[in-house]
This record gives sequence, C-alpha cells and structure tokens, in this order.
Amino acid sequence: MADEIVRVSQQQTKPIKIAKWKIRQGVTVPVGRIILLYDFLDLPKVEQKKLKACQAGIIHKILAEEGKVVQPGEPLYEFKSCSHPTIMIDMCAECGADLRKDDNIKTKTTASVPMIHAIPELKVSEEQAQKIGQADNDRLIKDRKLVLLVDLDQTLIHTTNDNIPPNLRDVYHFQLYGPKSPWYHTRLRPGTHKFLNSICKFYELHICTFGARNYAHMIAEFLDPDQKFFSNRILSRDECFDPTSKKANLKALFPCGDNMVCIIDDREDVWSCALNLIHVKPYHFFQHTGDINAPPGLDKHEADDKDGVDLTKIVKKALKKKEVEEIEINQEKNVTKDIEDKNESSINKDTNGEDKKDNVEKLCKSKGMEDIQNYTIVKTEKTNEKMAASEEIKEIQIENKENPENDEKAEKDNEASENNKQATGIHQADNDLLLKDNTIQKIDNEEASNETKDKPSESENNGEKIVHENNQKLEDKDIATPQIPSQEDLLIDIEDPDDYLTYLEDILRRIYKVYYELLDNMESGKIPDLKRVIPFVKRKVLNGCKLVFSGLVPTHYKLEQSKAFQVAKSLGAEVQADLDDETTHLVAVRPGTAKVNAGRRKKNLAIVTADWLWCCAERWEHVDEKIFPLNSKGSKNRHPPPHCSSPEHIASYPEHDTPALRKRTPSGRFMDTINPLMSFSSDDIANMDKEVGDILDDESDDTDEEKKDPTDEDENDTNTEVNFKHMMQTQILGAYTASRDWEDDDGEQKLAKESSDEDEDNSKSQSKRKRTLEDSDEDNSQDFELPSSKFRRGGDLYELDAERDEDDNDTSSFGAPDEEDEGEWNMMGAALEREFLSD
Amino acid sequence: MFYHISLEHEILLHPQYFGPQLLEKVKTKLYTEVEGTCTGKYGFVIAVTTIDSIGAGLILPGQGFVVYPVKYKAIVFRPFKGEVLDAVVRQVNKVGMFAEIGPLSCFISHHSIPAEMEFCPNVNPQCYKTKEEDVVIHAEGEIRLKIVGTRVDASGIFAIGTLMDDYLGLISN
Repeated sequence: MADEIVRVSQQQTKPIKIAKWKIRQGVTVPVGRIILLYDFLDLPKVEQKKLKACQAGIIHKILAEEGKVVQPGEPLYEFKSCSHPTIMIDMCAECGADLRKDDNIKTKTTASVPMIHAIPELKVSEEQAQKIGQADNDRLIKDRKLVLLVDLDQTLIHTTNDNIPPNLRDVYHFQLYGPKSPWYHTRLRPGTHKFLNSICKFYELHICTFGARNYAHMIAEFLDPDQKFFSNRILSRDECFDPTSKKANLKALFPCGDNMVCIIDDREDVWSCALNLIHVKPYHFFQHTGDINAPPGLDKHEADDKDGVDLTKIVKKALKKKEVEEIEINQEKNVTKDIEDKNESSINKDTNGEDKKDNVEKLCKSKGMEDIQNYTIVKTEKTNEKMAASEEIKEIQIENKENPENDEKAEKDNEASENNKQATGIHQADNDLLLKDNTIQKIDNEEASNETKDKPSESENNGEKIVHENNQKLEDKDIATPQIPSQEDLLIDIEDPDDYLTYLEDILRRIYKVYYELLDNMESGKIPDLKRVIPFVKRKVLNGCKLVFSGLVPTHYKLEQSKAFQVAKSLGAEVQADLDDETTHLVAVRPGTAKVNAGRRKKNLAIVTADWLWCCAERWEHVDEKIFPLNSKGSKNRHPPPHCSSPEHIASYPEHDTPALRKRTPSGRFMDTINPLMSFSSDDIANMDKEVGDILDDESDDTDEEKKDPTDEDENDTNTEVNFKHMMQTQILGAYTASRDWEDDDGEQKLAKESSDEDEDNSKSQSKRKRTLEDSDEDNSQDFELPSSKFRRGGDLYELDAERDEDDNDTSSFGAPDEEDEGEWNMMGAALEREFLSD
Repeated sequence: MFYHISLEHEILLHPQYFGPQLLEKVKTKLYTEVEGTCTGKYGFVIAVTTIDSIGAGLILPGQGFVVYPVKYKAIVFRPFKGEVLDAVVRQVNKVGMFAEIGPLSCFISHHSIPAEMEFCPNVNPQCYKTKEEDVVIHAEGEIRLKIVGTRVDASGIFAIGTLMDDYLGLISN
C-alpha cells in the first residue's frame, strides 16, 4: 500500500517526555490527527503539548514507549504515507485527503478501477482491485457459483415508447423523467421470474445494459423487487466506459479476469463477439420497436416490423369479445324487454326516474346485478326514444347473425371469463354499444373508456347521441353501483409464444455443470476458463453429426467462410462438401437439387431444412429432425437469424468475396484475358459510368416506360456503345424491378425474364461482358446484389444446368448457388471491377 | 454540526404575482428556493426559522421582474472533518459502504471498517459482520461514524468517514 516507511523523529530542540500515545499501531491517520501528548522536561509547570500528524498515512510502528524521554533527533514512530488506494470523488477514502488540492498527491495515486457497478466515482487501485477480485473469485468457488452478466433490452424484456393499450398483462408502464416525459412500456419475457429464480442458484447475476441508470434500476425493480437477484450489481450506460461496447467494463468489474463470467445478450457486437457470450434470441414483443437502448451508431431498428404482437388486433379482438358478450346479454334482455314492455304498459309512458328505479329493483330480484345494468341501458334508451332503441337492438341482432361463427368461438372463450367481464360493468357496456355503431374504430391508446366519451362528439349519427346521453346517465348510476370495474378485470392476456428462456436456462445449467466438473478435476488453485467451456459445451450439441449443405452456401463463397458452416462448426458438427456414407444430415434449402436427389437414395440420412440448423443453434440442443423435414416448399431461411451465429463467426466472416489469386497477363490488364476485343479507354468508362448514374437517378420515375420500350434508346444512340448501353439498362432495370417486387409479383419476374431474353439476342461476347459487368455491379453496390441478380443469373444458367428437370416456370432456379461456374464468373467480375477501379 | 445563522437571499419575482399577496409569495418562494440547498460555506440549509426583513424590491429594467433582498435565519448543517455523526447505511458493497447523514452522503472504505468485520455478499441484504455475528451492519442499519474528509461541490457535500475509532460502529440493534 505504501511506498516507503519513514521514521519520524523528535523535531523539538529540547528533550520531551511522552505522556500518552493517542493512536495505535497500524492505524490510518489523516492530516492533523493528534498522535501523542508530550511534556517538556525542563519546564517546571506540566503543560501537555500535542503532536499532530503532518501527513496522512499509516502509523506503522511506535518506537518510543509512554513515559519515555526522547532526545531531539531520536525516532518516535515509523510512518507510511497513504498511497490513496481507494478514491471517492477525488478524495482518498482511507485518509480523507483531498486529491484535487495537491497535484503531487494526485499523480501519486494509482486508483483507477471503478469496481462498483453503479458508482463510477469510486475507484480503487489495481492492487486493491486484484485483491478484491480474487476474494470474489474465491467466494464464488466456495459457493459454487458463476457470474452471469444479464442484458435487459430484448434479452429479458422489451420496452417501447409507442402508444400501447394500458391494460395488458405483464406490461409495466413508467415514466423516468418527471410527469411530462415519455412513457415507457416494458414487457417481461415470458418466464422471466422463473428463469431468474432458478438460475440465481448457480449464477451471481449482474445487470449489464445500455439503458440509462434510472431506466436500468427501474427495470431491476420490476425484475427483482426484493433485490435478491441483482442486489446492487447493475451496470448501466452511465457507467459504461465505451458507448458502443460493454467489453471495456469487464476488466474493471472483474479485475482477476473473466474466467468465471458468462454473458447473455441479444447482440454480440457490443461484446466484441466474446467467447463467453451466449447469443440469445432477441425478444420482440412490441411491433415497430427495436432495441430502444441500442448503443449509438448501431442499429436501433433491427428487427423492426418483424415478429412482435399486433396489439391493435389483440385489443380489437378483446373488444370484440366484449361486444359479442354484450350482444349475448342483450339477447337475454330482449326477452326481459318483452316482460318489461308489459310492465310498462301498466305504467305511464312518461315515467319519471323513481318509477324506473322501481322497475329496476323488481328486475334486480329476478335477474341479478349485471342484468340490471343492461336492462337500464335498454330502458333508458327506450324512455329517451323508444324507436331508436329498438332499432339499436335490431341492429345488434343483425350483427349477431352476420358473424355467428365468431360469436360461437367467442362464446366459448367468454364462458371462462364471463364473470370477470360481467363484473367490469357499465363502462364496458357503454364502450361496446358505441363501438358497435362505430364499427370498432382503431384504438389508439389510453383508456378506452375515455375515448368512447370523445367519440360520440365526432359522430353525426343521431342514435349515437342518444347512447351518449345514456352513457352519462349510466355513469351516474355507476357511482351508485358497488361493482366498480377493477383494473385487474380489464387486463388483457396476450398469447406470447416466446419460450426461449426455458432453453436458455437449460444452456446455462449445462455450462454450469461442465464448469464445475472441470474445476473439480483440476488441481487446486487453477480455475477453468468459461471462454473455453462455453464453446466446448456448444460443440457438444451436434457432436458426431456430419452435415452436407445443399443450396445453403452460394458457390462463390468458400464453404469454410459461410455463416452456415461456422454455425455448424460451433455446434460441433462436421461439414462435408459432398455426400458420403458417413453423412448424417443433409441440410437443404429446397428440394430437387442434385444433392437432395442423391440423398433420397441413402438410408440413415436425415434431410432437413436449414431451419433445423438454426433451431439447433438457437436452443443449443440436437433438435428432432422430424420437425424440419424438407418438403416441396423448401425453406426461405438461407441465412441464419442473426442470433444464431456463434461468437467466432463474425470475426472470420468475409465482408467481401475475395477472388482467388490470379496471374496477370503480360499486358497487365485482366480484362484482356476475358475478352481482348472489348477493352475500353478510360473515357469510355467514364461515359458509361455517367450513363449508369443517370439511369439510376431516373430509374424510379420511368422504369416501366423504359422497360416496355427499350428501343427508344437505340434510336438515339449511334456509337459503338449502343448495345452495351441498352444491355446495361435493361439489365439494371430488370434487376431493380425484380428486386423490388421480388417476393410477391410474378408479373415482374416475367418482365425481368423478357429483358434477359432480349439480352441473349446480343452477341456472345457481349453477353459475356454483360455477365461480368453484372457481377461487378453486384459487388459494387449492395442494392444490386439481392435476389434480382441471382434470379437473372439463374435464368441464364438455367440452360446450362443439365441436372435440373423442372420446367421453365419454376423460378426456383434463381437461387442456383450450386452451379459451379458461378464462382468463376464472380471472380472474374470482381477482378474486372478492380481493373476499372484501378484505372 | 448545526448552526442557527443569519443568511441573505435574493428573490426574483415575476410580475404576475404583483398584488395584495406579494409579500406572502416572496416568503413562500424563499422557503422553496432556500430550504434543502447546499452551499460550500454554510453547508445544507435545513430549515428557515424566521424571515427578518424583506428589503425594497427593485424592478429589473426591460424585464418587469422584481428583486427582493431577503434576510432570514436558518438552521444549517455543516459537516466538519473529525466530527462524529450518526448515519443510516444505504448500500453495502465489497469496497466499503455508503451511509447518509440526513442530506449528507458518506462513504466508508472497507479499510476504515474494523478488520474483524467481513463483507458477506451472499446473505440478503449484503452486510459487514463479525465472525460471531454479534455486529452486523447492513443497509438501513444505523451507525456512528467519524468524518475524515469532505468534498464540497455545487450540488452538495460528500464525506468520507471511518469506523476505526473508539465508540464508532453499529448503534442500532
């Protein structure tokens, strides 16, 4: 702790007698602390003086005893100055010295490690951090625990700022920055509490999030109201060293290394793809919201519009339920109405309120409370305008007939929840009546009951006004009724199919088990590294499986560099280029490829879609192959979902397809090796570039025209580039339209095909060039890359493909990544592109 | 340490308050603006006891706001080095513990906690306790500490404390 020990000697000119030591050995003293009391010997009168510490530090050893006479220059005690190992807001937490005052002290201190999650101001020295970290590790081993860093957003929860209905179950609503700040709505992933409860026996849980500090603490409050899971171990954006990475904080939190640290997060980029990261499937509940706390610069809207639950539908559905129920009740009421009519016939039609009440009470006896409510609806309507009311009911009946199926379904649902629903009382009844007239408008947000009060003012319908009046009356009544709808009853349950946490729990348990098995077999003092254990556990998943991919890896990618290969490898499977007798799985994107056909003849070979592999990667378990058989539809997911990729891949994943080594021709121009006839001057190329640029700019406006009448261009152009230009246009336009409407528009595909047919009329050399240019285009801009170009490529290659036996309309050939010459073309394209660029 | 001292403060009042209740408004504004604040010199202003005088208001040209110089007496809390105070523990962690003395936050390093007390992270709530468990300090516990240093900021005062002295430590049971 201290640099050196200093002997403090007696500074007086005269000998002194030590009266009393005011400190003990080993005590830390701040500046000015009284160390001892002493007397001067020669003074007749005993007057005790105080010796104060002139420096903060530790009294290492007392050298002179009490009562002893100390001559000037003789040592009194040994003193170690404070090295300020712990600093809080630039103050030494040991001796209280202010480190801002004295620059010398400041430079001397080594405290730089903020060890406490939520308090970045508190720093300790490396040495201290090591000590504390070691103590932590020892304790963890003693308790047989590991550390688990838990991400919040999209891992355990999903939060949105969008307006959502207020009455969803398991959704928390809160504001962070005062009453006028935006509302946050947080949904816990299904099974979160169970997950935390069971996993906290094996792991010490830490929160590690990019949310702001108060956000993180607020969520922690929801997750862990008793502070038994996370305690104070919450690291938020405010404490992160690096706004885009959580990795930097690891060293500070775990100064002895992260050997015992496991991480669960939905994004691996913020951990620099750490090996001890379990990349979880992002939880997506609210539509149109990605990770609201994504690190700056990284995509916030990843996964937008994907998945998610359509809340508007749910709310509509819920409202429909109520409505249906309302109708039901009204049907009953129609019966009662008849009785009522009879009653009323005896009473004067201009009945006043009291008379009505009498009626109500009568009915109350016979029918029960909820009936009264509905009865009053009917009745008040009647008294206001009898005709309108009966129309209303007829309307309801008609509606009821219109959708009998729905009603039946809803009725079943209702039976269970009927009690609740009925208890919700008049508010709902009001809503429903209004909503019927409005044909269920979209619920924006906030309480539906409020909204309904507003709605009638918008509508011009006369009948509705009446209902509105009724509402008010009924509300008055509502106050009197004891059955005020409780919040609980209004909650809407939402089916959430997400069950990922059960798999995650299983993964974590396995890791834990393996880790401590390893630890027990190791010599004492050494601990296994989770950065090795986690990949090891993952490799066990598909251990022994030998996979062959078909249609999964584009041929211009090396198999080893493809994502699918990396995923399979991280799961411990062996990936082969071709089928042999040992192959256990054929992972195919669609049926009809050569490999699939060959594979059908083999026994003991499971032919599965790529989804099988992604599912294995997601759950870290050998999923039953039967769930993912390859059928005629094939699989759309050639690329793994982002969360399936294991930590290793991204690092080794090539950003750009690198062409194989090539030898230059003597001329030094690679394009000469392809087609010596067609070398362009740099001016030509510049012209072409310009034209392409123009086309691209205009493209959005006149795509259709140009496509239909491509000869226009030919008339205008007379130079040698005519054909080429035309070619480029049709190509690009075709590519564009195809890429735009790829998914759902067959007509567009045909058009694109036409244009490609046109191209084939061109000379051979040109079509060759076209191909290479197309490929270079593809490499140039991501926009072109997509299915469109694949389609075109496939369309051309279709003739070449001898193995393919489907007819012409089967455009599944667009994928065609299996073709071998494709790689060559791509290489040439890339090389050509370079050539252009170098010029 | 607590002091009862005279202080001055200027109240800036919007013209909307000009009226019969003007002086009342000045007074209420003084309370809200002054109580709970902290200055380096006097420490925390705990409570205004009396308002001695409200001076002549000065209208700010061009704005219409008026400035009243107010003299008042208040109880202030100014922590000093070496002072012994009672505090409530707020958080306990492996590096030390945080405690609050009213508005004053204080940190006690684990080096300043008697060596016989050990940090126990596994029990809930986390605590420092002796082997015999006769002394257990955890969050919400009351302790007596001695201040060894203070940091005065614009926003408040932060103190460093110690338990390493006679009669310091846990005072609640």
